[in-house]
Amino acid sequence: MKTPYEILEVGEQATDSEIKQAYLQKVKLNPPDRDHEKFQEIHSAYETIKNETCRQKNALFNYPEADFDALLDRAFTSDQPVLMSAEHFEKLLRASIEDKALLNIHPRKTTA
Amino acid sequence: MSLMKKKPPSSTSKSSHQDDSVLENQALSKLNTGQYKEAIDLYKSLLKRANNADWRRALAHCYLQRALAFASKGMVKEALVLWENYARNAEPPHQALDQYISWLLQTNDMAKIKTYLGQLTTKQLDELYPDLAGLLGLLIITGKINCLDVLPRDSVFIMHLDLVQEALSAYQNNKLEDIERALKMLPFRSAFRDFRTVMKAALMIPESVEQAQTLLAKIPHHSPYQQMGALLLAISHDGAALVNDLLQLTPPQIKIIEETKNLNKKQIELLGVLTKQKDRLTDKVKFNLAIQYQTLFDADLAKHYCLAALSTYPAGQRDFIRHFGALNDFEAWRLKALKCERDGDFYGAEYYWKQGIAVLNTQGAEGAFKAALILRHIAAHQESPEEAISWLIDSLSADPDDRETYIKILQYHERQELEADTYKEWLDNSIMKFPNDVELLGLAIKASTRNKAFKKATQYAQALLKIDPVNTFAKQVLFTSHLAHARKLIKSKKFHLVEKEIQQAEKITIGKRYQTQAKLMRGFFVFVGEDKKRGEQLIIEAMQKNNEGVFNTHFYIMMEALLLNLPIAPLLKLLPPLANDYLLSQQEIVQLTQQIQQYADDDSSNQTHLHKALEKVKAIIKQSLKQTASEDTLLTLCQCLDRINHFELLRACVKIALPQWDKPIWMFYRVYSEANGDPTKCSDINSFRLQESLKIAQEQKDQRATALIGKFLEQYYKSRKSSVFNIFDSLFGGNNDDYDPIDELFGHLPDDLFDQLERKTIEITKKNTPERMLKILAANYLSNNVNKMFDLLNDDPEALFAFLMLKAADDLDIDIGVTAEKIVECFNSQKVTSKPKPFPFF
Repeated sequence: MKTPYEILEVGEQATDSEIKQAYLQKVKLNPPDRDHEKFQEIHSAYETIKNETCRQKNALFNYPEADFDALLDRAFTSDQPVLMSAEHFEKLLRASIEDKALLNIHPRKTTA
Repeated sequence: MSLMKKKPPSSTSKSSHQDDSVLENQALSKLNTGQYKEAIDLYKSLLKRANNADWRRALAHCYLQRALAFASKGMVKEALVLWENYARNAEPPHQALDQYISWLLQTNDMAKIKTYLGQLTTKQLDELYPDLAGLLGLLIITGKINCLDVLPRDSVFIMHLDLVQEALSAYQNNKLEDIERALKMLPFRSAFRDFRTVMKAALMIPESVEQAQTLLAKIPHHSPYQQMGALLLAISHDGAALVNDLLQLTPPQIKIIEETKNLNKKQIELLGVLTKQKDRLTDKVKFNLAIQYQTLFDADLAKHYCLAALSTYPAGQRDFIRHFGALNDFEAWRLKALKCERDGDFYGAEYYWKQGIAVLNTQGAEGAFKAALILRHIAAHQESPEEAISWLIDSLSADPDDRETYIKILQYHERQELEADTYKEWLDNSIMKFPNDVELLGLAIKASTRNKAFKKATQYAQALLKIDPVNTFAKQVLFTSHLAHARKLIKSKKFHLVEKEIQQAEKITIGKRYQTQAKLMRGFFVFVGEDKKRGEQLIIEAMQKNNEGVFNTHFYIMMEALLLNLPIAPLLKLLPPLANDYLLSQQEIVQLTQQIQQYADDDSSNQTHLHKALEKVKAIIKQSLKQTASEDTLLTLCQCLDRINHFELLRACVKIALPQWDKPIWMFYRVYSEANGDPTKCSDINSFRLQESLKIAQEQKDQRATALIGKFLEQYYKSRKSSVFNIFDSLFGGNNDDYDPIDELFGHLPDDLFDQLERKTIEITKKNTPERMLKILAANYLSNNVNKMFDLLNDDPEALFAFLMLKAADDLDIDIGVTAEKIVECFNSQKVTSKPKPFPFF
């Protein structure tokens, strides 16, 4: 689950005005009449961290979540784009038919 | 194949014919009910007797159906044999040849494969068997089979295959334009249509992962390129999504993706562990992985994860401390408190928060602010408002500038009607703290008006208007204050000051209705203090401008006359007469309600005058309500009548409302008005009715009705309880049997801590003989005075448990806020309070 900081895409050290700017920007991109659920998520994130008191409350009263996926996200994220060589493409293509089930097709049309 | 029909037999003897006919019927029946195995046996028997073409066709049909059924279960070998049996008994062209070939492709029987592929016509390959063509294409380009020599050379399939080979070759030579050109030449109906999609997606990944994913989503579920699509999708993913994808793949596939994504040694190692443990990723495994691969995860993130994971894997505590160091004291208490809250143990949470606050109290201003937030957090979890307010008040000593807390405290005291002084005190403090706060000034105006401190109310209203010049509430207060003052001056005959007050009221721009009221006041002033005739004329003129109908004009004049101690009748004669059968319109009822509300707001002593005025017109009101009132209008009127305690009219409203509407608030007003607002006069049956209504109000989330009924019932129960207690007290003189020293000493501990200490006490008692244990306890806690220990135990053996709990806490190095002195004091006071008392009947 994303933290309010992640939802608004601001750092944990962001100031009130930086958070407000980020919130307004997000609301502009996701107005309530387009995607109400998304808007609610953004609004609720803003309400949670909009000022120092809110941020302190959020930090104090939220049980830290044991999110293993967050660890995996960190461990397996690369900034470099994947450049696939022809060799890898062909290897993948061959690997894709390893599975015997692939051959067990049931053609949609059976014609004489 | 449609259900078969029996044909008449051709020749042979009569009995033989009869046998065949029976057998044929049985076979047909089995075939028609899908029992192909039995049908096959029967047709085979029949065919042994005669070579009947229909029977053979039926037999072939049964074989084909069985073959398809086996294939759908993945039993390809059986399907192959059954299809071949079908082919032996059926005339060409054979059905499901494409499926048969696809089953053959799984057998590695190249000779047979080639034989059947060689039989395919161009039409079959290019048009009739698109799925087989798609599969063959993939197998050929991956080198899985080599069968080009047997396929029809003039087929579109071969032409498209050449284009695919061209694209692959261009890919190897990194000639993107040639790839594009070759792929463009593959039409939508090509057997290599999905190849084109996967290749395009592969080339798209470095530029736009999203677009590549959109392309991959277009590959149909039954396509042989579906798996290639899944592999490319995995490559397009990062983080947890990538890992989840990889866990579904085979080790060789994972290896290629690791290479393609250029994963480092550590990442590959972690992936290996995850793949091996994929079905056994317990909290413990994940906790250990977080520690082991913290360089990969980022040490802070790994620490954060492990900290959170301790709640479900407490055994990891030691490892956590070893790798990340001990938690600071406050953090340790905070996590314990939050864990209790998560488990719904707010009592325990409160204990741990208090420990945390004790730590924060040593951390200066920042610690104090956090402590205040915690105190307010605890307040929010209190069931009783009294407790909550107590926590909130405490929080102000740590952070005295929290406006919301002041507002909450004020709202609480405002509801407690008997605590007017406390409310005033808090209000004064709040206004001093936040002199320009609109909400607080509004509350101050209301309170001053309620206390008849009109001068103060005016001051607050003026202050409020300086901050918010259009504040209607402040304007109303100021206006009413001027008029009330004018009235007071008229009554005390200080006529020279009246005109100034009226002029000040007129300066306030608040609406025509108020201007008319000011004019009318001038009329009364002239009538009483200057010239009666001219005064009458001014009153008539003012009332002519009043658009609220004859009834409301009469009511208004009555109220003003009463407030000025003037006789009503002569003044009413100035107005058009009010007929006895006059019926108020819906709008007039609303205006009447507003008038009553305004007089009630102005001054609580107006209530007597309101009752007097209403007494004169109540018959008209009752009659009108029967005719015209809507539910909303009636409800607003009821609130207003409740405010001025006019139970007679309230009962009249309920009588009209209850048969028509079933909101719980109506039942409340019925019971409330029947008891004249006094809960002690509520009957048992009515209290049951209210309980039911309370449930409904809660279900309907009708907060107003819930609050009103809840408060009334609470007062009702209180009155019942006190009367019951009085009876028992007088009979038995009261006692202190409920006093439990263990609860007094250890009741504040959270359940888990209490259990932990209790377990430790058992451990201590097992380790020592009773004599030795008593000696240890006396040495530790009673300055070695064993006799004192025996005295305490003689009075109450529970004292032993208390000392053992203290010892357990000390052994575990936990401060539970209990001392030996406290234990002694507790058990001694119990001795005093539980002395036998004389039986009161003697």
